[in-house]
Amino acid sequence: MNATASRSTRRRAAVAVFAVVAVVAVFVVRLVTIQVVQADTLNAASFDKLSAETTTYGLRGDIVDNDGTVLATTVLRYDVTASPKSVTDFDRTDDAGKTTTITPTQAAGEIAAITGQTADEVYGILTADPSSNFAYVVRGIDVDAFRSIRDLDIPWLYYSSNPVRTYPNGAVAGSVVGFMGEDGDAAPTGAAGVEQIENQCLTGTDGVQTYERGADGVAIPGSTVTTTEAKPGGTAVLTLDSDLQWFTQQALAARVQEVGAAWGTVVVQEVKTGKLLAVADYPSVDPNNIDATPTEDRGSIAFQAPFEPGSTFKALTAASVLDAGLADVGTQVEAPYIFTDPNGASTRDSEFHVDPLRLTFAGVIQESSNTGTAMLGELLTPQQRFDYMTKFHIGSSSEVGFPGESGGILHPVDEWDDQTNLTTTFGQGLSTTAVQIASVYQALGNGGVRLPVQLVSRCEQADGTMTQVPDATGEQVVSPQAATDTINMLETVATGGYASADLQIPGYRVAAKTGTAQMSDGSGAYGDSYITSLAGLAPADDPQYVVSVTIAKPVTIENGLAAAPVFQKIMSQVLKEHRVLPSTVPGPDLPTTY
Amino acid sequence: MTNLAGAYMARPRTSIAAPERELPQTPKTAPHIEIVPTRTQRKARPKIAYAAVVVTGVLAIVVTQLLLSIGLSDGAYEISSLQSQQKELDRSNQVLTEQFDKLSSPQNLAASAESLGMVANSAPVYLRLSDGAVLGSPVAAAGTSVTGGQALVPNSLLAPPTVAGATAGAGANGASSAPPAPEVQPDVPWQGALPSPTTR
Repeated sequence: MNATASRSTRRRAAVAVFAVVAVVAVFVVRLVTIQVVQADTLNAASFDKLSAETTTYGLRGDIVDNDGTVLATTVLRYDVTASPKSVTDFDRTDDAGKTTTITPTQAAGEIAAITGQTADEVYGILTADPSSNFAYVVRGIDVDAFRSIRDLDIPWLYYSSNPVRTYPNGAVAGSVVGFMGEDGDAAPTGAAGVEQIENQCLTGTDGVQTYERGADGVAIPGSTVTTTEAKPGGTAVLTLDSDLQWFTQQALAARVQEVGAAWGTVVVQEVKTGKLLAVADYPSVDPNNIDATPTEDRGSIAFQAPFEPGSTFKALTAASVLDAGLADVGTQVEAPYIFTDPNGASTRDSEFHVDPLRLTFAGVIQESSNTGTAMLGELLTPQQRFDYMTKFHIGSSSEVGFPGESGGILHPVDEWDDQTNLTTTFGQGLSTTAVQIASVYQALGNGGVRLPVQLVSRCEQADGTMTQVPDATGEQVVSPQAATDTINMLETVATGGYASADLQIPGYRVAAKTGTAQMSDGSGAYGDSYITSLAGLAPADDPQYVVSVTIAKPVTIENGLAAAPVFQKIMSQVLKEHRVLPSTVPGPDLPTTY
Repeated sequence: MTNLAGAYMARPRTSIAAPERELPQTPKTAPHIEIVPTRTQRKARPKIAYAAVVVTGVLAIVVTQLLLSIGLSDGAYEISSLQSQQKELDRSNQVLTEQFDKLSSPQNLAASAESLGMVANSAPVYLRLSDGAVLGSPVAAAGTSVTGGQALVPNSLLAPPTVAGATAGAGANGASSAPPAPEVQPDVPWQGALPSPTTR
């Protein structure tokens, strides 16, 4: 009896176990199928249903001046869109618990009160196409307006944000900083000025983040995946000083309007480093409001508009002659009113004088005698003069690489006709930009070492790395002695020239040169208006700053006196701002006549 | 049963009522019989303690998991709330930074300084601290203003908008960012006769 009993018991037990195992096996197979075999497909399907993608903005970087003042920055502005399909009455519960029904008309009125539109306008937008799901109610409102509209709790309004460029300092350095432009449907990119030069540094890359969200829109924990990291743009640091820039623009604008001129430009450069401290133009553009300025005035005159420099160029000729050792500061010339050179080209002085003036080289510079300069300049061969001009980077644009920058015009020496050969000694027959003239004086003030012109000092990325630091190696253009002698001659202009009264800065020795150049009338001959300029350095014993002022077509004062007061004002401000000590060593007081 | 059935059939019947009297005597109460387990058998029985522990353990795990997932979801909601707080603070930060940048622009500073009556000093004098020497000749500042009353470097962020409904960017920008409003003077009543134009 036992053997039969246990066998049947065991059989029953075995059957039971087998049944259990079979059921478990089915479950295991199902589990493996879902978790392993079909995992990816199911994950993807669920992800599709639950996931949301957001773009994290990599905002465009700031443009700042040399001490961090923000010249251009990116802010967010909001667009409000409505879904006309869902525009209906809705209930609003106020703090006291009272519920009121608001109709679309009332809502339109409330929205209009905030955005400055009319209630009819807003209502029109909401009802224009009742079957559509999308309509812009208002675009580009700022944070306060956005918050007010959001607090209205209107359920059929949606909001999105856009980055927008703003320039907190307005027209200060406006023509240098530039502005953005849109190229069709592409994102706005730099269209002028530093915005364009540094576009790559400034542009950030947007990132993408995906997360899975539950029914109420809250992210499921642990499901946020950053597919691409957003990278904000770097900061472009300029060498400009925004306070000095404002002062310069204000002084220039006042003077240009006072003398009834067409345009003006001022360049302030640091002698020892080549950095541009201020680049002022008049007229100047306010990048916040480009439309207020005509298209032709939206650029930078200092970089883009070449002109025949006239007498300020004589400093370069003088330095070349001195460097070649063909004359010194005391060399005596008899400068006639009309001078005809051996090739037959002739020129005349600006002021009529019957007898030739008995001038030293210093006196030629002080009197700005064209004939004297021509006589001394022609001690050099045309090739020599051309080589010196090339060494001073005349004819090639500066190292800044400003968009649309001009290098001026310097014809190859074998194309010079006899008249050009003569006139290039005193700055006609070639053209330069205001920045190039400033750079010539910078070289003279720096012991003959020309430093590259710098506008952008660096591009700072968010992690602190700096890129695009410009090369600062100088080149010796003329000997230190020739440069010093030229400065000493230029000082006579400030102590005894016709503009000296306007050039004095109490306590400082100033070396400067006036210029009154004829302007081309556009068809190959000279017109009857002038470009007056004044370029100079201070303090003359150890030059720190170059200021170059150019005013075109002044009406009330037609010579360098138009530009002189601006020079004096701006140079005083620069010296004051940088606490430059007054000159202690008296000037050399070179003899100008004999 | 089988045995009993067999015994019943084997005995000859005497009378019908007899079987009741011939049943074997059953005692009034059945003896209570228990099988006493040996010690080994007792030890072999599964202990309740282990089962209790296991079940408690399982319950504990389930409860902990529940609490954890509640905590996680709470955390997710808190993250969401903090993120929207951060967004709001970022927005406030932007508003204040914009206002600050605008108010610290040189145009605004110059205008404010002049409205306070400050003048520019273009002849500074230096005091050398090492020996107390005064470089330059001190002179009272001439009452010249830097801008001469005209602000020639515009900043459209400071100026109120001139044309309503211009490009949404410029218009809304100006409309919503109110410049510091000057003090409104009360109207002064005109005294005397109104001036009339001289005509020829």
